[in-house]
Formats: sequence, structure tokens, C-alpha cells
Amino acid sequence: MITASPGAKPSAILGNGSAIAALKQRFRRQDAILMGLLFVGLALFPRAPGTEGWMLAQAAVVIIYIIAAQGVALLVGYTGLVTVGHGGFLAIGAYTAALLTKLFGVDILVAIVAGGFMSAVVGMLLGLVFLRLAGPFMAIGTLGFAFFIGTVVNNVPLFEGREGISLPPTNRLLGMQIGDAGFYYVALFVLALVTLFLYSLLRSGVGRAVRALRDSEKAAESSGVNRLFYRTLAFSISACITGLAGALHGLVIHYVSAEVYGDIWYSVDLLVAVVVGGASMLMGPFVGGLFVVMVPFFLDQLADFASILKGVVLILVLIFAPAGVCEVVGRPFRAWRRRKLIEVGRTPEPEVGQAITANR
Amino acid sequence: MLGQQIMSGLATGSLYALTAVAVVVVFRNTRTINLAQGDFAMIGAFVALLLLKQFGLNYYFALVLTVVAVTLLGVVVERLVMRPIANSDWLTLFTATLGVYYILHGLAGWLWGRDTKAFPVTFDPTPVNVLGTIVSEGHLFNMAWAASIGLVLYLFFKFSKQGIAMRAVTDDPETARLMGIPVRFIVMLTWAMAGFLAAFAGILTAPIIYVGPQMMDQVLIKGYVAAVFGGLYSIPGAVIGSLMIGVTENLAGGYLGSQYKTATAFVMIVALLSLRPKGLFGIQKRREV
Repeated sequence: MITASPGAKPSAILGNGSAIAALKQRFRRQDAILMGLLFVGLALFPRAPGTEGWMLAQAAVVIIYIIAAQGVALLVGYTGLVTVGHGGFLAIGAYTAALLTKLFGVDILVAIVAGGFMSAVVGMLLGLVFLRLAGPFMAIGTLGFAFFIGTVVNNVPLFEGREGISLPPTNRLLGMQIGDAGFYYVALFVLALVTLFLYSLLRSGVGRAVRALRDSEKAAESSGVNRLFYRTLAFSISACITGLAGALHGLVIHYVSAEVYGDIWYSVDLLVAVVVGGASMLMGPFVGGLFVVMVPFFLDQLADFASILKGVVLILVLIFAPAGVCEVVGRPFRAWRRRKLIEVGRTPEPEVGQAITANR
Repeated sequence: MLGQQIMSGLATGSLYALTAVAVVVVFRNTRTINLAQGDFAMIGAFVALLLLKQFGLNYYFALVLTVVAVTLLGVVVERLVMRPIANSDWLTLFTATLGVYYILHGLAGWLWGRDTKAFPVTFDPTPVNVLGTIVSEGHLFNMAWAASIGLVLYLFFKFSKQGIAMRAVTDDPETARLMGIPVRFIVMLTWAMAGFLAAFAGILTAPIIYVGPQMMDQVLIKGYVAAVFGGLYSIPGAVIGSLMIGVTENLAGGYLGSQYKTATAFVMIVALLSLRPKGLFGIQKRREV
């Protein structure tokens, strides 16, 4: 919300013309500090005492899940569309990157960008079909899409089914060979880019348009918001982000097989991450991604118990914190910010509600 | 050959119908897409296996006990999980059933192990000749069961007080409550019915495939697709959808190769939804008010 009310500081109004002031308004200082601290912390993680190689690989997987969950959050939290099929985009990204690396030996930079691009294209085409569907129908349709991708990678010879495609043990970035630590930074860099991109996107006209459509389709459309255009755009950006994550995931575990990406419940995990963390919260995917990766990791020998725990936590979150864990944790902080904003005479943002879905 | 494919497709389809109808009944009364429907059936199959193998019970006695157990499971899920969030939007309800899915999956794996088990076959595997096509007795057995359950449901919805109340809740929960229908009880009954249907789905599907935590995943997806055929509101639509999917995928499996069975269902649903976004039997009628 970039409205300057009568009592606003003169600088806030005068600065409206310059690009820097606009940026300052968008990237509110607290958000910048919070995200800055987080990313500095993550960047220092490999240097921390007691950090070993396997931890970096695992941390990279967590980061990749966070990226994928951000893609889902863009749809579920901000656009109001429910997808249960984003594992399909994860697979598209992973296979694109893996095949390019295996067949042409491309740089991982190319592989990752290609993975994201391929997902975005498929996402756009699918968006044109799915976006016509009302909420629950779309959920089932996307689940079917994930299933379809699973069948394809299991049966089309190019993808080598359950045998899988093995990739070289080190990745090549701009001519350098990088190991786990190097790849950790690559994943972190992508995460930072995606976070920054989403943050700006959601505060731009596109973000306002999709949120307006989420809150009231009719009101938004009658104010001239093009529903099909913005929803397709959001769907395809979301697919692109999850595709980037897929490309990274395939490259970090050096192995892409139908065993992993043919499993539709992968997609469901992403939805769980978003719902547990908070679909319309900036930090939601971070918490959720950490949750869905680390619970099975720590309970490796007790896979069934991990599944039970995941279910119980999910249900408890839905009953007691329907807008996600982050919404509850962030409540005092947001209350403080509201007070401050009112003190300086600016209109605070409306409170976040539940993850609102377009069609009730 | 063709007749045989169609017959066995109808037999498989009638099993999908048990899931599809349960999905429809739960959705139209509670706005919930029940992802745990397959797992109710899976639990049912495990319970039946336990009763048959461990306790050596008679097939029909075990069947009755299983039906009672899974019906109770449906009620328990409604009371503990769904009731506290009954007024949330559909995404919350949907995700909650996902939580139930995880719990039941983990529970089954923990109690009975993740490996697949064979279910004792109760009928004679020798094929019989019906109207010039060769059908296995198991297929006839399943079709007979599905048809009689369908008849029971029809009579229930048509004549019983609870069934009529249930239809009233489907049409308009608000008015139904004003008319003195105990909506919360009807919702509980809905979940009980989901459990009831799942018990049969589990017991009848188990001999065809296997018993294990993952056994119903594929069936569940097809049940959804079939339910969407009926617009998620129409029971006859769901049944017709199930039979169509059963036959189509069997023909695809027979003529294209068995790995294309599942993809067929997806292609069908995308084709249908892009032509008729609200299913073959539409739900336009419901949203008019």
C-alpha cells in the first residue's frame, strides 16, 4: 500500500518522484533488515564451526524446497488458486536440467535457467486449461497433471524410468567445478533472487491485481483487472519458480529418477509446506520448507512415525493457526508495526486473513 | 476379446464407483474433497486381512466387522478433525483430510509394515461364460456387490428419513437447518457413509491388487476423476464416470499397453474439463440461489 495520507512526513511525499524513494517505500526497512539478517546467516552457515559437508548438501535441499514452496505460495496464498500438482513442475525442471547436462554437458547456469523456462512454458499452457476450473476442480486437475508427469517419466524411454539419469558428481559453474559447498551458495543465490523477485512482484501492479482477484473476482474484474491474463501470468511464474527448484534439486543429488519425481505425493508435500508455514506470509515457505524436509530427515529410521507426526502437526496447525505458523509468530511484530505506522500518520496494511481461496 | 475387455473394465469401474460416490457424498454435504477416502479403504483391507488371517473368521463375518470398524473410523475423523474446522474455506478442509491421509498411512505402515501382502481370494478363479463373453467369477462377484450397494444407497436416499434429510442438506444447508434438520448429525452420517463405502472398496479391491499402505492411491485418483465427471455433485454421474474410466483404461491397457492405463484417465479428465469446466452433469442448478 503506497498511499501517503495527509499526516505523512514531507520526505515520503516529496520522494515519490525518485526511484530510490519508491524503492525505499517498497522494501520497508524492517523487512529488509529481517531478510538481510536471514540471508547473511545462511551465507555464513558453511563457515560456522561444526558444519560438515553432508550438512551443506542437506541444507541445500532445504533451500531448494523453500524455493519450490515459494512457487506454490504465490498461487495458493496470493492468487487464491490451489495446486496439488507442482511436483510435476519440479520434475519438469529436474529432467530438463539433467538431460541438458547429460546430453550436452552444459553449464549448470544454463541448465537451471532452462529448467525454469521449460516449466514456465508448460505452466502457461496448463494454466490456460486449469484456470477455467473452479477451485476444487482445479485441485483435482493439477493432481492429475502430477500423475500424468509421473506416468510419462516412468514410461518414456528418454527419461530412463526407475533406472534414472546419473549426473557427474561435481557440477560445472562458469568453468569451475563446484562441490557441495559451492552448490549451497548457488541454491542460496537463487533463493535470494526468488525472494526479492516475489517481494517486489507482490507489491507491484501484478501483485495487487492477483490479490484483488483472490479477494473478490467480480469486484476486481469490474474494475478492469484482466482475470485470465493475470492468473495465467501468476501460474506461469509460479511454475517457473518451482521448475528452478526442480533443476537445482536434480543437480544437487546428481541423480534424477522416476522413483523420486514420479511420486505424486511430492506435490502434496509442497502444499503442506505452504499451509503449515503460512501461505500468504513472506516467511511461510521458509518455515514450511524446513518442516517438510527435516521431519522425515530426523526420523529417517521411523518413516511411518514421521508421516504420523506430519499429519498431526498439519491438523493442529489448521485448527489453531489456520493462516500458518508464521502468522501466529509474527502477530506481535505486525501489531507493533501497525502502531508505528499509525503514529506517523500512514495507513497500515490490512491484516492478513486466512489463506483465502478464490472459490469458496 | 473386445467384449471381455469391456466386461472387465465394467468390473474395475464398479469398484472405482465405490470411491467416487463416497467422494461426491462427502463433497456435496461438507465442501470437503476427502483425500483420505482411499486410506479409509486401505485400513478396511488391513482390518479384514487381520480378521481373516489372524483370527480365522468367516469371510462374511469379517466383512461385517470391517464395515462397522471403518464406518466408526469415518465418524471419529469427523468428530476429531473435521468438526473443529467445519466453517473454514475448502482449502483448509482439503488440507485437513491430507493430514488424515498422512496419519492413516503412517499408522498402517507402523502397525502392519510397508511391504505388500496378498489378500486371500474367496471366489473361484475359473472363468464363466456370460452372454458369449468370458468373465472371471471375481469380476461378477465385485459387480454384484457394487450393484447391491448402489441399490441400498438408492433406497436410503429415496425413502429413509435420514437419506431425505441428507439430500436437503446437500441442496441448501441453511434452509435445512431452519427446517429443523440436525445438520451436524447429518454431516456425521455423511462421514459414516464414506467409511461404509470405503470398507467395501477396500475388501473388494484387495484381492485384485494387494494389501499395503499405498494400495488405494491409484484407485483414489480415478475415483476423483470419476467424481468430477458427475460435477462432484451427482451420484449417478459419478457412477457413469467410474464405469467409463474403467472401460476406457482397460481398452487402452489392452490395445496400447498397460502403462498407459492411468494416463488415460488424466487425458479424459483434461479433455472433459476443457470442454465442460464443471463436469459432465454440471452443478449450475445448485448455485442459482
